[in-house]
Amino acid sequence: MSFTFPHLRRAHRRLPTALWSILASFVVGGLVLLSTGNNPLTAYRALVSGALSLPNLPDTLNWAMPVVGMTLVAAIPLRAGMLNLGGDGQLVVGGLVAAIVPLHLPFTGFAAIIISMAAAIIAAGLYALLAAWGEISRGIPMLISSLLLNYPAVGVASYLVRFPLRDTTSNLPQSAMIPLDDRLPALVGPLNVGAPVMIAVALAYVWFERRTVGGLELRLSGINARFARYGGIHLARQAYGVMFVSGGIAGLVGSIIVLGSHFRFIDDGLLAPSFGPTGFMAALLAGGQPLGSVAAGLFFAAMQIGGVGMQRDTEVPRVLTMVLQAITILLIALFRRQRTDRE
Amino acid sequence: MAAALEVRGIVKRYGALVANAGVDLVVERGEIHGIMGENGAGKSTLMNILYGVTQPDAGEIRLGGALVRLRSPLDAIRNGLGMVHQAFRLFDSLSVWENIVFGREPVRGWVVDGRTARAAVAELAERFSLSVNVDARVGDLSVGVRQRVEILKALYREARILILDEPTAVLTPREADALADVMRALVADGRSILFVTHKLREVLDVTDRITVMRHGAVSARLETARTSEQEVVRAMVGRAVSLDIQRPDVATGDVVLEVDHLSVKMEHGHSAVSDAGLTVHAGEIVGIAGVAGNGQSELIEAIAGLRRHAGGTIRLRGTEIGGLSVGARRRLGVAYIPEDRATVGTAGRASASENLILGFQRRREFQRWGHLLHERVLGWAQRLIVRYDVRIRDAQTPVDTLSGGNLQKVVVARELEHQAALIIAEQPTRGVDIGAIEFIHRKLLEERARGRAILLVSAELSEILALSDRILVIYEGRIVANLPSREASEERIGSLLAGGSGDAPPVEAGPLRAPSPAPSLSDAKLRDP
Repeated sequence: MSFTFPHLRRAHRRLPTALWSILASFVVGGLVLLSTGNNPLTAYRALVSGALSLPNLPDTLNWAMPVVGMTLVAAIPLRAGMLNLGGDGQLVVGGLVAAIVPLHLPFTGFAAIIISMAAAIIAAGLYALLAAWGEISRGIPMLISSLLLNYPAVGVASYLVRFPLRDTTSNLPQSAMIPLDDRLPALVGPLNVGAPVMIAVALAYVWFERRTVGGLELRLSGINARFARYGGIHLARQAYGVMFVSGGIAGLVGSIIVLGSHFRFIDDGLLAPSFGPTGFMAALLAGGQPLGSVAAGLFFAAMQIGGVGMQRDTEVPRVLTMVLQAITILLIALFRRQRTDRE
Repeated sequence: MAAALEVRGIVKRYGALVANAGVDLVVERGEIHGIMGENGAGKSTLMNILYGVTQPDAGEIRLGGALVRLRSPLDAIRNGLGMVHQAFRLFDSLSVWENIVFGREPVRGWVVDGRTARAAVAELAERFSLSVNVDARVGDLSVGVRQRVEILKALYREARILILDEPTAVLTPREADALADVMRALVADGRSILFVTHKLREVLDVTDRITVMRHGAVSARLETARTSEQEVVRAMVGRAVSLDIQRPDVATGDVVLEVDHLSVKMEHGHSAVSDAGLTVHAGEIVGIAGVAGNGQSELIEAIAGLRRHAGGTIRLRGTEIGGLSVGARRRLGVAYIPEDRATVGTAGRASASENLILGFQRRREFQRWGHLLHERVLGWAQRLIVRYDVRIRDAQTPVDTLSGGNLQKVVVARELEHQAALIIAEQPTRGVDIGAIEFIHRKLLEERARGRAILLVSAELSEILALSDRILVIYEGRIVANLPSREASEERIGSLLAGGSGDAPPVEAGPLRAPSPAPSLSDAKLRDP
């Protein structure tokens, strides 16, 4: 592939920085392990095999699906110079809609799955549009409105599954089970067709950003919005489009988890694993650059799942992986800072 | 007697770039010394070294014969150097005297001795006939008066050598004349002035000697009395440049742009543009002359679609475009070279090809079903780079590496390639070197010959006079004159720019308002309490 645009070449120059940072964080983590009397090599071997060994790989991929999805949710607006901090709310809206729709459709099966997912995507996309509308026509900064819109979404969903939609056969705050035929087909172990769907979405975005007119306009707006506007790019229309897609992907993630793993909407079930914050971190790390963001998302997912394996096989708690992630991010930020100082 | 300032062998490197390569400079007491050079010739680096902002890698500075090391601007001030920057460094909300004594206030115990300070400033202003109301709030003053405040600030700090960095860029011709008088008064008092400028006429009018820089070195030392424009330009550019613009007769065609009763309001309600009317025909360059801040930017942005207008009509070839988006206006035939090439005209981190394709990216030749045809985009960019002589490594290099002149060529290339019926050129040559000025002027005249309508805005009166077929003068948001170029002279326009009457009544009048009787902006402001 030829590197037609400079940000790609920059991404390549950035790669070593990221690798160095990861390596350095492992060294620091190793020292911590040594000081507590653990063998770092054993721990790291358990970490890697916990994430990447054949029996564990489906787990990792299943975890990577929402992480990468939420990475895209953050990365796409970031590329256009916007911030969508409402990924969690949009995720919940999508999950809730995907949990309700199949219960009310007169039919089941493939069509029901498609309709449920589409409804989830549209609902979450529209919810994200609220934030864009607030900024464009009412002057409320999207940074604030997208963040604040999380609370009503989470609160209302929580109320619904505690009272009107509560599954009366259990004592837990969760909705009724989705019929067997309306669930996403499983592939291997916990892995369902949601993972390949998300891979397709990620690839589509990489292609879009790099190869299409819309992608070019997205990038130019992100680099210099005044320039984009001056050149005739309709920034408001673009912002609506970007937020709808970003929210829609969050809704897709929610629907995949609900239809593929939980089979119902469980209060806090979508938010407890912190897919949104993890994805946001990954996107920030790569500056919204598509391939870099996806790679960072995969890395974080692997670390988190590997940590579980490490905790199981050795005495080392999986919190260590959070420490390693934090050190990696700080080091990358530090390296970048120095580079800008030199400039 | 030793020279006031003597600089020997100054070298300053920034990585591979040699900004100053062994610069020598001698400034005598009581002399106005011009520093000329194109952008990137090393003038600013040298001035920053003299003012202690940066330290040279090699070389020495002597003041009155004594070797000094200037580690900071405070050091420089202590040694009797003063600098008036292009962008003023004043507190708008403080009074004139407060600004002047700031950092060196006379005190009584713990308190600033306001009465003494105020008296000292008033006396200083009196001594150099720098008429300034010392109690006025700086924010209320005109640009020319603010500049006097800056000069007074340096004098209050006992500057013997004053560096003026492009001091006339923001002034009306009349204010510039007043500044020249101030400069002469200062050197008569035995002080020295380093006058950095790129305006040939001024440097020849005002200075005693001129040092010309090129590629970081001194390319000529000239006695002003015994030199000529041509000699200075040759030293700056390294070749002869024809500055006389031949403007061949072109038959003007239909009306392309017609603006009527246009008004633009700012956020806080005051009018930036009031009841403006203008027409531009095909094959015609209409120049808008005005001192910065008189509404020309708002007028242009309203025509381009970047700013909402409060009333009036904007018609392009008969079609009302006032309600259309920027993109729609561009599609109908509006090209626009904006005044600020770095923050509006280009995206710095984006490549030259991305910068050159904006506005064209949806054309059929560059995309299929929304898929960008990269080879064609690159080919297009490469053709423009060659045709407009942009000095850049390749089309994939980010444009933030380019010099001002080359960056402007990127903007000009893109906008002229639109082949739009209307070309708006806003300060098309500001801050670019002489070679690029010549090139851009030639291109604009070529477009005129092709029958395009060109609306030119410039703060350089000479540029307006040289290029325009018709000249509009904008003052406080109103178009106060509309003159065919043969009836326009620098004096007449200069007077109109400052709100004067221009001696003769304007012809072919658009909506006219009698300007205030005050003869000049600066004088009018001075009379304020």
